[in-house]
Amino acid sequence: MPATDIAIVGWGQTPAYRRSDLTEPQLCMTANLEAMAHAGIDRRDIGFTCSGSCDYLTGGPFAFVANLDAAGAWPPISESHVEMDGAWALYEAWVRLQHGDIDLALVFASGKSSPSNRLELYPQQLDPYYLEPLGLDPLSLAAMQARSLLEAGKATERDFAEVASRSLRAAAMNPKATVSGEKDADELLAADYACAPLRAHDVSAVADGAAAVILATAARARQLAEHPVFIRGIEHRIEVHQPGMRDLTTSSSAAEAARRAGLADRPVDVAELAAAFSPQEIILRQALGLGEDVTVNPSGGALTGDPVMATGLVRIIEAARRVADGSAGRALAHASNGQCLQHNLVCILEGA
Amino acid sequence: MSDTKSEPVVMDHLVTLTYVEDLPPNTVRFADALVRGRILGQRCPQCQRIYVPPKGYCPLCVVLLGEEHDVEVGDHGTVTGFTIVAPVRYYGQTKTEPFVYASILLDGASGTLGGQDVSGIPADKVRPGMRVRAVWKPAGERTTEGQTARGWGSVEGCISSFEPSGEPDVPAEEYREHVI
Repeated sequence: MPATDIAIVGWGQTPAYRRSDLTEPQLCMTANLEAMAHAGIDRRDIGFTCSGSCDYLTGGPFAFVANLDAAGAWPPISESHVEMDGAWALYEAWVRLQHGDIDLALVFASGKSSPSNRLELYPQQLDPYYLEPLGLDPLSLAAMQARSLLEAGKATERDFAEVASRSLRAAAMNPKATVSGEKDADELLAADYACAPLRAHDVSAVADGAAAVILATAARARQLAEHPVFIRGIEHRIEVHQPGMRDLTTSSSAAEAARRAGLADRPVDVAELAAAFSPQEIILRQALGLGEDVTVNPSGGALTGDPVMATGLVRIIEAARRVADGSAGRALAHASNGQCLQHNLVCILEGA
Repeated sequence: MSDTKSEPVVMDHLVTLTYVEDLPPNTVRFADALVRGRILGQRCPQCQRIYVPPKGYCPLCVVLLGEEHDVEVGDHGTVTGFTIVAPVRYYGQTKTEPFVYASILLDGASGTLGGQDVSGIPADKVRPGMRVRAVWKPAGERTTEGQTARGWGSVEGCISSFEPSGEPDVPAEEYREHVI
């Protein structure tokens, strides 16, 4: 069955704060109010709300329930939550809008990483028998992936530094970014390893923040927005959990998601990739077949501001922003969950 | 498959996760005021509800609230509901005798403070509609204990319990909306 056209008609995001004293519901409400104002809608117009967050990050059981305060849940609303990046909440809202009985949906995502130590926390998401007892942390996993890439001869440490250098430069234009700067690869390569072969610049600036998107059916979108951004395809695919059972130097799930989302139908001008480590951008570019003519991460990408759980939704916003302002005719947004790009979502956006 | 039966190996695996939280600005102001003997709330400019402790927003109107919305409420209130807890012994339980766990609607507030101790009266004499006042800890003993970024703040570091104020009971229609 061909999908009904759904468009993005508004968005909001907090800055990607290194550390915010605002609570997660406060961050979410800030983003939600901005998105609703941008779309020019009232919250009572919304037919479905879906959010993405992770209770482990803030350390509060059922923290996601309090986040609903940010959507205005009285009188009762129809809503859902995914313990995943907000890009998957957007996917669920997109599916919900296919039913045709409602015409507006709110998607929001949030994460507060600052209260926890992720080297201690993230092993808890791994298989509890073989991986978690090792204390296998995200930095070590990403370093293993980077090492595989180097040993396969698919990239060099200079390639990693070039990704970081370009991202930091692009982030100077992004008021929401956590870090930015003018540093060339030579300067970056002079730094010590954070976790060999990764240096600090290869690791995303983990942040606190929230983001929100308003989705509308095509008819409603044309009433609301001068330049609605249409979702031409959205798909996600997952690979096996055990990193030892995958080829870490490529991403078959990202490639398959892109194929099914229709990436090959027409070339894209811009790609926003949720690469939390610089080697992952190289892997994704290759897996998605993105050539030199595609502008990758004009926002600075996840590397320069990574509000974990909202990072993928922010990629969709950044891609939509370029389509809406006409700087891209067609754009790709990517989101990822799990370790070493285990689970990937690809969303293709176009103007009317 | 092996023919020999063996017992499964069981091993302990204890996990400790550490969280270091910052208090949001609204809770910091609430805690500061409480130590000085004042109870702060926030008034929503749309619905006029007063949230005690302040939340930084009104969840019903979806409006962000700032310091300019802070208001002080009274330290007298009305018991709107209660439970008498007969403590069972479990790790961490410090109570040994039955105690009252009451919801109290402070004068001026739009919602109740839950889980408050009521002192100065036998448990079986506590009743909904009963007027109470805060028993403040001495100024030097007040702390920010119980203030976290996950709930919305607590009075336990500064107010040890609530005791009967001697004012006449409030009729049910005045607190019916707050029975919890």
